[in-house]
Amino acid sequence: MPSSSATRASWSMSSDAAIRCRGLGKAYQLYARRTDQVKQMLFGSFHRFYLEYWVLRDIDLEIRRGESVGVIGRNGAGKTTLLRLLCGISQPTCGELKVAGRVAPILALGAAFDWEMTGRQNVLIGSAVLGLRRSEILRRMPSIAEFAAIGLFIDQPVRLYSAGMRSRLAFAICAHAEADILIVDEALAVGDAAFRRKSLAFMESFRRRGTLIVVTHDMEQIRALCDRVIWVDDGGIRASGGVAEVLRLYDDATEAEEDDGIRFRLDAEARAALSQAAANRRHTKWRSG
Amino acid sequence: MSGRFNRRDQTKASTRLPDGLDQIYDDRAEGGVAATVTRNRPIGQSRAGGRATPRDRRVLAPLSVGWRHRELILAVLRRELADRFSGSAFGWVWAVAGPLITLAIYTTTFTKAMQLPVASAHGNTSSYALSTFVGLIVFGLFAELCSRAPMLMHEHAWFLKTSIFPSETLAWTAVLRALSYAGISFLVLLVFELALNGIPPLSILLLPFIVVPLVLFLLGMVWFLAAIGAFTRDMSYLMITFVPLMMFATPVFYRVADLPDPLRVLAYANPLGTAIEMARAAVLDGVSPPTLAYCGFLVVSLAVCRGGYAVFERYKGILVDVI
Repeated sequence: MPSSSATRASWSMSSDAAIRCRGLGKAYQLYARRTDQVKQMLFGSFHRFYLEYWVLRDIDLEIRRGESVGVIGRNGAGKTTLLRLLCGISQPTCGELKVAGRVAPILALGAAFDWEMTGRQNVLIGSAVLGLRRSEILRRMPSIAEFAAIGLFIDQPVRLYSAGMRSRLAFAICAHAEADILIVDEALAVGDAAFRRKSLAFMESFRRRGTLIVVTHDMEQIRALCDRVIWVDDGGIRASGGVAEVLRLYDDATEAEEDDGIRFRLDAEARAALSQAAANRRHTKWRSG
Repeated sequence: MSGRFNRRDQTKASTRLPDGLDQIYDDRAEGGVAATVTRNRPIGQSRAGGRATPRDRRVLAPLSVGWRHRELILAVLRRELADRFSGSAFGWVWAVAGPLITLAIYTTTFTKAMQLPVASAHGNTSSYALSTFVGLIVFGLFAELCSRAPMLMHEHAWFLKTSIFPSETLAWTAVLRALSYAGISFLVLLVFELALNGIPPLSILLLPFIVVPLVLFLLGMVWFLAAIGAFTRDMSYLMITFVPLMMFATPVFYRVADLPDPLRVLAYANPLGTAIEMARAAVLDGVSPPTLAYCGFLVVSLAVCRGGYAVFERYKGILVDVI
């Protein structure tokens, strides 16, 4: 295992950096057969039983404290994977990543809810995941309910919620998490105009205190909220800089590119593994239930 | 409720944020509440993907994990217990009746139908029943966790995939949940003991000292099984056959003293058997557990706990990608 301790020692976090990563990469492991996973677990140190599919490669990024950054890119470019790494939901395959402060991720569509629990119970768990104490959560509960504005539905199981109501609740939880870094991934896509206005007002006020990272396809939102834009394309950073310049580049490129499947193309090795895995899955579907 | 949504919210045109929100961030501005949490994770180069984060090598790392995330563990535990006890119509009744029915059937089978020599050696049915009950409570802990642990990560896959939920806390929650069921059974046992034998011996106060190593052992076991179980479902099938066998390999229906000598050593080598025997001694016989055996038990449990945690940490990084 090549160690990076030498670089780590010389590379200390400057005091104003909220997020810093260097050479960050994420590869998913593609297994042709289910048994290969077990083999990898047992004999992984002798032989590799999977193929790597690199979603992100060589990401160098520094986001200063108090900055607000927009992340744009086409579907499948790796935006969400990047955010998942920054939040700590999934672990990078290689590279170095430092995150200073409490992160509150608002990922697509009111993510981590237990559908059988009521909204209030979900607030208790969701806020505890973000690191809040029970007494703090209970104190903030009225304010959370007011922000979400879903009325008496807050005491109903989440499975009765509409997509918009779920995203309202998710946003309300994260807004009250007292985070240092707020990561918003397309969370406003299903909100109505009034809620969108409220959320934008919150993000606008948050960016004066904390670090904000927004992923969206809504360029107006980026112009309104961000100081800087990062354009993620094909698993790497294609451009990064001022809002106007990067958006112009992006617009030019999207006009030129067609909406075809080329972006999702895999190399030959990965393609073989995927198709084999798909074939196996067809065979074993009835068995695994 | 007047409409589908709060009517006030529909008509309100301004984008006023809740006052509570201002309060939170005002406190912050004054430097009052917020302590900055720093999450620094330098990451080494890795090919296999298993060693993305530096491992916590301290011996007591599994315990400090539990302490660091105590609020979250309690929140999830509270919810799971509420689920069990208010989700079903007769939650409490089941928790009490379940062990009672099991106990009644086993006791009747072994003292009346099969007339085990072991059972008759106890002299009377009631003392055999109590001794078996202690065994069943401890074994019940083990059995529940064994069958649940391999699916633990799959059970919470959605949480793990979509939020920053620390997966290592799930073992703590599972163990504490099983422990609270066992606690209910233990109360039932106490009632029985009071009714049959009178006041329990003073050595019952030693019980927490027996529970601590047992919990450590179970934690290690859950971490290990959960890590392997995340990759392959074979583990849960294996457990289905393994647990009933363990029931007879562990001194649940007999006491270690009933075994011939060579087998007795084996029974003590099984931490579960040791735990059951010590609990029996403390709760029923009024004898404190032998110091040497206890120290051995503690060391073995700690080793299992640390080992299980190490295995879990090793696979934690890629776990989210495979479930």
